[in-house]
Amino acid sequence: MTQSPQGPGNDDRWIDRMLDEMADTPAGEVPDALMSRVLADADAMLPPPGGRVARAPWWRQFVESLGGWLAVGGLAAAAATGFAVGLGGLESIGVSVPWSLEYESYYDGTGAFDAFGWDMEEG
Amino acid sequence: MPLDTDPQTDDADLLARYALGDAGAARLLTVRLTPRAFAQAVRMLGDRAEAEDVAQEAMLRLWRIAPDWRTGEAKVTTWLYRVVANLCTDRLRKRPRMSVPLQDVSEPADLTPSVEARMQSEARRDAVRAALADLPERQRIAVMMRHFDGASNPEIAQALGISTEAVESLTARGKRALAAALKGQVAALGYEEG
Repeated sequence: MTQSPQGPGNDDRWIDRMLDEMADTPAGEVPDALMSRVLADADAMLPPPGGRVARAPWWRQFVESLGGWLAVGGLAAAAATGFAVGLGGLESIGVSVPWSLEYESYYDGTGAFDAFGWDMEEG
Repeated sequence: MPLDTDPQTDDADLLARYALGDAGAARLLTVRLTPRAFAQAVRMLGDRAEAEDVAQEAMLRLWRIAPDWRTGEAKVTTWLYRVVANLCTDRLRKRPRMSVPLQDVSEPADLTPSVEARMQSEARRDAVRAALADLPERQRIAVMMRHFDGASNPEIAQALGISTEAVESLTARGKRALAAALKGQVAALGYEEG
């Protein structure tokens, strides 16, 4: 019952014969039940006519969630106004030119914090 | 199940039509592709019930990927071939390996040559299946396409996205690995070591 290889260097041949034998495995008829199940799956997953609607990119979804571009414009204007008002408030503590943030001149002018008061203690 | 009534239309075109909601395209693809997937799975697994599950799962993945399929990148049949091969490999790797050599199995009293031959043939197939499952994916696909489907080097090269020259070496390495894996079982499988 054994099949003899054909001599030295025959590795490929017995492997080939094994693979050929496996290739000859009869698959037989495809069961009708399988075809029906596959078709049922296809029907269940059939996209709507015209295809699936492509999903919008994240930034567009974000804009939509805020109410559209008009709402985003209003939000941006309100944010800019709030920022300007906030900067204007700095003048009340002596910062006259907010965009240069001249803290140094403010503290020099007061003279209250020179050397944290140690110069007064030391005389 | 009716035959393929539109053999001129490409698989990828049918898949595109399915993605647009054409149920008729699904029917044609089912008729064309399910028998191929089933036959491949039967060869790889040697079990019709398991092969049915694999073929159904592979086709399910095809329906799922249809809306995202990019025409021109791969052939539908090649994609399906790989999916079936990988699903079968997963199952083969989970199967318990035959731990007792065939010659040690007690034989039935009325053993006839045809029964013995059948047992040995089935043992050979099981051994080859197990050894194939242990190969790296590309070697396995190359060997299977060459031997089971009679694919040419350019066809294998296209399926694997490699050069035609690389196919020969990939197939040879796959067969050498198979030979090494099966070497110890050659006699039990009905061959004489030369």
